[in-house]
Amino acid sequence: MITLNTDNNRETVLDLANLSAEQTALEVKNLDLYYGSKQALFDVSMKVPKGQVTAFIGPSGCGKSTLLRCINRMNDLVDICRIEGEIQLHGQNIYDKSVDVAALRRNVGMVFQRPNPFPKSIYENVVYGLRLQGIKDRRVLDEAVERSLRGAALWDEVKDRLHENAFGLSGGQQQRLVIARAIAIEPEVLLLDEPTSALDPISTLTIEELINDLKSRYTVVIVTHNMQQAARVSDQTAFMYMGNLIEYADTNTLFTTPSEKQTEDYITGRYG
Amino acid sequence: MNKWFKSGAPWIWMTAGAVSMSLVAVIGLLLLIASRGLVYFWPSPVYELTVEQFGERGTIIGERYDRELVPTERLTAQGIDIPEEQGDFVERFLFKTGNREFVPLDFRWILETDIVESTQPKDIVVVERLTNGNFYGYVEALVRDGETIPLADDPEHGILYELLARSRGLYDQSERLLKRDIGGVNYQLERLRLRERKWEMNDNLTEVRVAELEERREQLHADYLVLEEELFDLRRQAGRDQLIIRDMRGESVTIGFDKIVDVFFPNQMHLGQKIAHWFHQLGKFIVDDPREANTEGGVFPAIFGTVFMVMLMAVIVTPLGVVAAIYLHEYAGNNAATRMIRIAVINLAGVPSIVYGVFGLGFFVYMLGGSIDALFYPESLPSPTFGSPGVLWSALTLAILTLPVVIVSTEEGLSRIPSAVRQGSLALGATKFETLWRIVIPMASPAIMTGLILAVARAAGEVAPLMLVGVVKLAPTLPLDGNFPYFHLERKFMHLGFHIYDVGFQSPNVEAARPLVYATAFLLVTVIIGLNLAAISIRNRLREKFKTLDQ
Repeated sequence: MITLNTDNNRETVLDLANLSAEQTALEVKNLDLYYGSKQALFDVSMKVPKGQVTAFIGPSGCGKSTLLRCINRMNDLVDICRIEGEIQLHGQNIYDKSVDVAALRRNVGMVFQRPNPFPKSIYENVVYGLRLQGIKDRRVLDEAVERSLRGAALWDEVKDRLHENAFGLSGGQQQRLVIARAIAIEPEVLLLDEPTSALDPISTLTIEELINDLKSRYTVVIVTHNMQQAARVSDQTAFMYMGNLIEYADTNTLFTTPSEKQTEDYITGRYG
Repeated sequence: MNKWFKSGAPWIWMTAGAVSMSLVAVIGLLLLIASRGLVYFWPSPVYELTVEQFGERGTIIGERYDRELVPTERLTAQGIDIPEEQGDFVERFLFKTGNREFVPLDFRWILETDIVESTQPKDIVVVERLTNGNFYGYVEALVRDGETIPLADDPEHGILYELLARSRGLYDQSERLLKRDIGGVNYQLERLRLRERKWEMNDNLTEVRVAELEERREQLHADYLVLEEELFDLRRQAGRDQLIIRDMRGESVTIGFDKIVDVFFPNQMHLGQKIAHWFHQLGKFIVDDPREANTEGGVFPAIFGTVFMVMLMAVIVTPLGVVAAIYLHEYAGNNAATRMIRIAVINLAGVPSIVYGVFGLGFFVYMLGGSIDALFYPESLPSPTFGSPGVLWSALTLAILTLPVVIVSTEEGLSRIPSAVRQGSLALGATKFETLWRIVIPMASPAIMTGLILAVARAAGEVAPLMLVGVVKLAPTLPLDGNFPYFHLERKFMHLGFHIYDVGFQSPNVEAARPLVYATAFLLVTVIIGLNLAAISIRNRLREKFKTLDQ
């Protein structure tokens, strides 16, 4: 039995195929991705609505993480990766030659599977992105630290040891620190790549609650292999299989009345 | 038995055995050089021997240096009569008799059978002199400002030590004057000469300038005369008093106090005094300049040269190696060319060091140094400035020699940084350069330090290439002094490793040099260990700072 997002009793269910420009945070258009000669994504097209949580689900190797990493061009780091098609943010193709990748990533933050704090103090971890932008004013930084740590529901736990090494925190705290670090630079979109897969159940719960809070300010895209989690935290869910986007609908619909046979098979646990 | 093999116990024994063997080798080496070297500073007893050789009686005063057993047969074959009851072997002793200017040999082998009587008289004195080595004998009298004080008036040697201290103080003053003040004047005169030559070559040596130079030169010359007068005065004062000693021939010898470094009575010393004397001698060995073709005195310039050169090398090799490793690891594509370069770098570490010396001489000294001289120091040609071996070229040559070590360990360190951390930084909008600069290099700094430690250890022990590119037996000045620009990188320098070679192989006095070889070797090891410990403590601090959970 899958518990659905309690937040789903919205007035209107968005028409995902025909979102207006204001409602759209980003749009993926006919995206093909190749690792060398092997194609990993096949003609993916979707619109991610603003200010909501969109989940990508699917069995291992279905391309959900790959798709996520396309959104802030983390795939650029893979030498053999080649991309065709477009991803539009504010109507501009992020794969256009004129795009500054660093600026894009400031706008599209990302949190990884395993917590990856820097070997610096908690404070320095949070202000890292701000320091990169050349902000040196102590007051601005202090405020950003408090705001971000509060935003990541970590402030009360660490406020007395901001200048201690971040590796002294527990795994769950580290992951929230990483989220705080990402929201400190005020991105529009926050990408979460299986953010709870390395955490214990209680930490997972805290992060899930946090995701619910985050969507009021950011567009959140989350990859998860845990269907319950997708159902709990997301407004929209995209089901992917073998590099294809099989079905993309609001979470309620997808989990209760999937239109595709493959989706139904997956969510009822026939494979994956 | 089979079960015992399977349990892994023999494996543990084998590995532990290998470790203990290495440990024994290291400790044994240190103990050997320490014991042989450090004994040199111990005030060993001085014997007075009555010896009968070839039917003649004689007296010998000296320290016993060594002993060995010689087959009787060999001695009889040389025509020496050995009493029957001696058996197959006869013991013989090596005595250091000093008094170099009066006896043909200051070391002498004496057969046990020749010794008629051996005593250790309490009042034998050892006089350590600036030239001609030690002098052994009995104090007869002191001369203070022309007035003779017989020994009876100074039984506790209070006056002797007082006069010695006075003379030493004056001597030190005169040395300081000579090195710092007079050396400074000479340095400035030389610079004036070069400036004049430069103007002359550029054809702008105007009348005004000539007059200016002349005035300056006269000023310096006047300064020099004053200083010279002061120096002579100091020297005269230092030489005011004399010590009269009766030597083993029974003749009285007068030694000026200005020629004496130290006076002591080893046969009167108790243990505490001996220990104090040992530390005193060790201290002198470390801080004094060498004398007597390096067989006497200290090794300070060599210690200074070694440390200075190694630090200069570290300053050169670290940035170069780190930057090269960053390019190889982070920016260069992973293709055949990169792999070739990497293999070439690793192989560079296997090139014999003398080859680097030849390269350094040909490339740095002659080509680079020659060009620098032609471009910037044409006024001092034909005498070279940078175009001759010097400390800078030595440091550069060793930097190239140790470059592979730094590159390899830096690359290793870079590859150990988890990609998650790099991606975390990139995902926050950092460019690759920012990620490297703020995250990756700090995290790799312990590995860089490891490379530096290995480089320093290798460089400090390297002698062969240095003989071609800058090391000398005796450098008159240190590469660092009070004359502008303070660092004189073109100067030649002394090095402990070369000092060992020089004292051990090139010394005119083999027996005197042997303990010095050990003492210097021990010092060299100590210096290298000291440098390494400093680097290791820095590395540990860095490790602590950048440690991540999975380490």
